[in-house]
Amino acid sequence: MEPSIAYRVEQVLERVSAHAGTRVSILDLLQKVETAIGYVPLESLPRLAQSLGVSDAQVAGVLSYYPDLHMRPPGRHVVRVCLGEACLANHGNRVLRAVCKRLQAAAGETTNDERCTVEPVYCVGNCGVSPSVVIDEDFYGRVTPEQVPALLERYR
Amino acid sequence: MTAVRLYLSNDTSSRAAGAHQLAEAWSVRSDLQLVRTSARGAFFLEPIVERDAPEGRVVWFNVTPEALPAIIEGQGGTPVQDIPFLARQTRQTFSNFGVTEPLALDEYQSRGGMKGLEAAVGMTPEAIIQELKVSQLRGRGGAAFPVWNKWEVARQTASAEKFVVANADEGDAGTYCDRMLMEGDPFRLIEGMMICARAIGATGGYIYCRQEYPAAARTLAHAIQKAKEAELLEIDGEDFELTIVRGAGSYVCGEETALLESIEGRRGVVRAKPPYPAITGLYGRPTIVSNVLTFATIPQILARGGAWHASMGTERSRGTIVLQIGGRVKQPGLAEVPFGLTLREALDRFGGGMALGAHFKAVQVGGPLGSLFPESKLDIPICYDAFAEAGAILGHGGIVVYDQETDMVDLARHFMAFTADESCGKCTPCRIGSVRGREILERIQAGEGSAEVVDLLKDLGETMKATSLCALGGRAPYPVLTAIEHFPGEFERRFTH
Repeated sequence: MEPSIAYRVEQVLERVSAHAGTRVSILDLLQKVETAIGYVPLESLPRLAQSLGVSDAQVAGVLSYYPDLHMRPPGRHVVRVCLGEACLANHGNRVLRAVCKRLQAAAGETTNDERCTVEPVYCVGNCGVSPSVVIDEDFYGRVTPEQVPALLERYR
Repeated sequence: MTAVRLYLSNDTSSRAAGAHQLAEAWSVRSDLQLVRTSARGAFFLEPIVERDAPEGRVVWFNVTPEALPAIIEGQGGTPVQDIPFLARQTRQTFSNFGVTEPLALDEYQSRGGMKGLEAAVGMTPEAIIQELKVSQLRGRGGAAFPVWNKWEVARQTASAEKFVVANADEGDAGTYCDRMLMEGDPFRLIEGMMICARAIGATGGYIYCRQEYPAAARTLAHAIQKAKEAELLEIDGEDFELTIVRGAGSYVCGEETALLESIEGRRGVVRAKPPYPAITGLYGRPTIVSNVLTFATIPQILARGGAWHASMGTERSRGTIVLQIGGRVKQPGLAEVPFGLTLREALDRFGGGMALGAHFKAVQVGGPLGSLFPESKLDIPICYDAFAEAGAILGHGGIVVYDQETDMVDLARHFMAFTADESCGKCTPCRIGSVRGREILERIQAGEGSAEVVDLLKDLGETMKATSLCALGGRAPYPVLTAIEHFPGEFERRFTH
């Protein structure tokens, strides 16, 4: 494991063990690593599994199950385009196409310059002002394909 | 000069519609006092700015920064009671929305909040459950199971530990009332959970909040802290711990047993039932899992009596339903009304007709597993029984209207692809069936369809309905089969011959 990554994983484990007595689950720990590092490095699995006293496979199983846990570093910004039904009815797929075109990245992929990762999602609960785009934690509503370039420009 | 007090919603969707920019721009002005409230739910009018007036709030809607001088002058506002979308509703669980600051516990209490918990403190667990039985409250998350029944089972099951779990994994597309409750009136959820905890003798509580709702999780965390400081999170002198668990993007974790697996930190794989969670739930202990809206409905039932709740609605669907109407309507938003109005009435009264240039094609009720209704089927009353008879579901109250631009084959493919993505993989009909369903629909999309191919799809759908372990696989065929039933021409048009 790259030393800087290993160091950050150890930091997470230290913080977790500082709260002795609370139940720490596999998902808990993976979410903490994801928050700290931005993804869960595959090479850290044995160390994480060991700290929890479970097998590597159990940790890998949880990691691969949840869409919001990433196995590769995402871009600096995550652009989520909603394809839930309310957004679909209001042409959220056209917004997705505009995002992909502008960023030159396919759905689910990260741009070559690692600026943005495009993630289609099923409903962000912003249906009252659909179609929706969520960039990092900023929600946008009533997004038109025409607005997409200017919107993305705010996230370099 | 006293500052002019303006009320602006801090709800995620209000912010997304522009309330955030207005608040940013105006926060530097000393002549304005901004109060950030919950949302009215009338999202088509957002961003909304309100002011106090002798007869109540006055509202300016679809506000742009340029409108500020008129607002300060008091010109052009509409009294809130004159907005038909709001005036036609029966706000009970959502009575505070647009009015209060979400984290102002004193405001919550001054408007009747915590009265239900106070009542419960003076009652035996049996009496609390009896009140719920009288109320005839059914779970609002989709399954519509009588709430008192689950509580009674959990109460009677002896155990050193018991849990109360709020399902805040609101995954059905088109729904957001749980998000609004957590962001806008979080103490109501906490109060409902505490009443449940007392009734069943719970030792701990969890709120499983989906990852897509960061603001809801933040607000809830603050609210839990405030409730703790106000000594509201105690049962008979013992601290009662309420913990927020964040989801990680899995739809099926909204299914109660998958949700419990996820809280325990494993893959969100559905458990076979029975045993039901009320007997064997979280960590194998008796657990009540209910939707956020269900918990939020309970305080008023205890404060005002079960009979009050039972006086609203229809024979077997008592109380109010919280509709979230969206898609191609003119007025997307949240409407709380007693059960019993027809789907057509809901769309007319609250949806306000179709958006500009849109023509009605179909409406889907109950999220991605809900049936599609064509124009000719809109006179169905909105209640559990009528929907069950029609082979449909109310789900979590989401209503999405599609127009002429939605292709029904593409839409059907979307639903099967969704299930294929979200299936937990435990049972074969859902895991394999959804993939085969998607492939069949892709063949039809590619012009390789025929009557036999559609028959195969129907057969597959019936198999999934009959043999899937949970509602994901069991309900997934409904939107597809109703698309074929009501719009056969769109499928036939794609046939090779």
